[in-house]
Amino acid sequence: MKGRTPFTLYGLLAVMAALAAVASFSGVATTVLLVNLLVFAALAYSINFITGMTGYVSFGHVVFMAIGSYSLAVLVSTYSTSPFEGIALGALLGGLFALGIGAVTLRFRGVYFAIASLVLALAGYNLVLQFPQFGPGGELIFYIPFQPLTVFFAIWGIVVAEIVLTFFVNRGKVGLGIRAIKDEEDAAAAAGVNPMKLKLYVYMLSGLFAGAAGAVFAWSTFGVNASSAFDLTFSLQMLAMILIGGMGTSTGPLLGASIVYLLYYELLTYPRLQGGQFLVVGAAVIVIALFVPDGIVGIIRRKYPSLKPVIE
Amino acid sequence: MVASYFLSDPSVLLSDLVFGLLLGCVLAVVAHGLNMIWGVVKVVNIAHGEFIMLGAYGAYFLNLYWGIGPLASAVFDAAIGFLVGYAFYYVFLHRELRGKETVSLQSEMVTLVATFGLSLVISTLALIIFSGNVVGIDYDPGTLLLGPVSVPLGGLYVAVVSILIISGTYLFLERTFIGAAIRAYSQDVTATELIGANPAKVASLATALGFAITMAGGALLTVFISVGINPLMGTLYAPISFVIVVMGGPGKMWGSLAGGLTLGIVFDVLQAVATPQIAFATGFLLLIPVLILRPEGILK
Repeated sequence: MKGRTPFTLYGLLAVMAALAAVASFSGVATTVLLVNLLVFAALAYSINFITGMTGYVSFGHVVFMAIGSYSLAVLVSTYSTSPFEGIALGALLGGLFALGIGAVTLRFRGVYFAIASLVLALAGYNLVLQFPQFGPGGELIFYIPFQPLTVFFAIWGIVVAEIVLTFFVNRGKVGLGIRAIKDEEDAAAAAGVNPMKLKLYVYMLSGLFAGAAGAVFAWSTFGVNASSAFDLTFSLQMLAMILIGGMGTSTGPLLGASIVYLLYYELLTYPRLQGGQFLVVGAAVIVIALFVPDGIVGIIRRKYPSLKPVIE
Repeated sequence: MVASYFLSDPSVLLSDLVFGLLLGCVLAVVAHGLNMIWGVVKVVNIAHGEFIMLGAYGAYFLNLYWGIGPLASAVFDAAIGFLVGYAFYYVFLHRELRGKETVSLQSEMVTLVATFGLSLVISTLALIIFSGNVVGIDYDPGTLLLGPVSVPLGGLYVAVVSILIISGTYLFLERTFIGAAIRAYSQDVTATELIGANPAKVASLATALGFAITMAGGALLTVFISVGINPLMGTLYAPISFVIVVMGGPGKMWGSLAGGLTLGIVFDVLQAVATPQIAFATGFLLLIPVLILRPEGILK
């Protein structure tokens, strides 16, 4: 693996550079569309660190997103700070909460981890409603100038950081250890890998980036409210994106995010198909999970092995 | 506030306790189908809540068009659930489980994610077909007064049926040949073949039974909680069921009752002394210490 030219990384960064150019030189509508797309991509890369790499399904991933959203909303609405401080706090708290939660829940294998994460998201939702600091009904709204390009570059920077980290984690020693855990955790432990440490490390990364992405999401929507911040369908969308793209890979999340987002965006524009996007995404998740669990990247890998250095 | 509650009129306290116990029995039967599938086939159906919802709507429509009471509707629901369970097994589980000794992490992930997708598809379809309106069944058998303590009769009926179903499944698993085959499957797939049963048939039967109980549970739920039938109700009852099954220990039939009663009392007492939010948050978070301290469930 070492020493090979990182074509995949160059390719992904070229795509990101192209997106930055498009956002800079086109109208507000396009920029807003790209902001939403990159928020999806940032969330996809975030859940990819834990679920894609280790196979631990995080149903409650929306919790870290909510932590980021509330961090930014509380700072901006109550303390009138700049949104960037909100993103920094969101990332910090997302990472810290992931460390704390992961130290307990990553001990549970398989379904127990998945259910513990789900239950935590529901408990979080109920707790937010309990505190007046998070607004009536958990709703906080703030009024700041509309700067789509600034928001774009904030989320753009986050996604670039995620791409680079995903690539190097996958390539390095950590990635090797993590793949060993995914295959057979006990054997990995016997071979000298410390599964808990590695899982905690990627979970922390995952929480950190979900927090940052959640903060930008709140910024782009000028507020947060409890029922959408903890909406479990966000978790499903995140899972759908990495599942469709290809779990654990560095290209999969961007690919999957683009597909899921455009599907949503396109289907949402027809009023008669309201709600139809959930049917399409839900059905796609079922079919892909059952029949092609390694997603589009997996299909390409099997059909065109020569493309391997470009997609992994 | 807490102290004043416990110092208040003991009959209020007793009525609350009775209500909590009845609620616990209802929640137990709602979770029992999941317990069966999880315990035997070792797969968690994330769409469990959506099948409870379908069971509740089944009771609602049977009542609306033919005036059938929710208790009788549970029988219809169970029959439909049995067939749905077979279909579910062959579509979602058979490919992953066939010829395997244990459920691999990969299969576990596949079934979790696929059933998560299923829950989204079913609840979206339900929203389109049934609309988002909350409906209820006009069924109130009244209250039984035992001295100063009031016992809602609807809750009492469901509690009795719930305990009958749970003890019925227990006896079925312990006393019949098919039950023995199901228990064999849950411990060791090869052992099922050794006693002369076909593993796929055993697993699909257990799944079908689990679905029958789940959908009947949805109907029974409406007897006690007669309002609040809506397409998204599954998002509440699925996590409640997960917590109950983990608390009781997957595959232990009486575990559903132990978990349900614990959760019912926690919900009820905390709602009285604190807020519904605190009650729900605590009930859900109970799962974490149980997983740490007694991963095999609270029952021996």
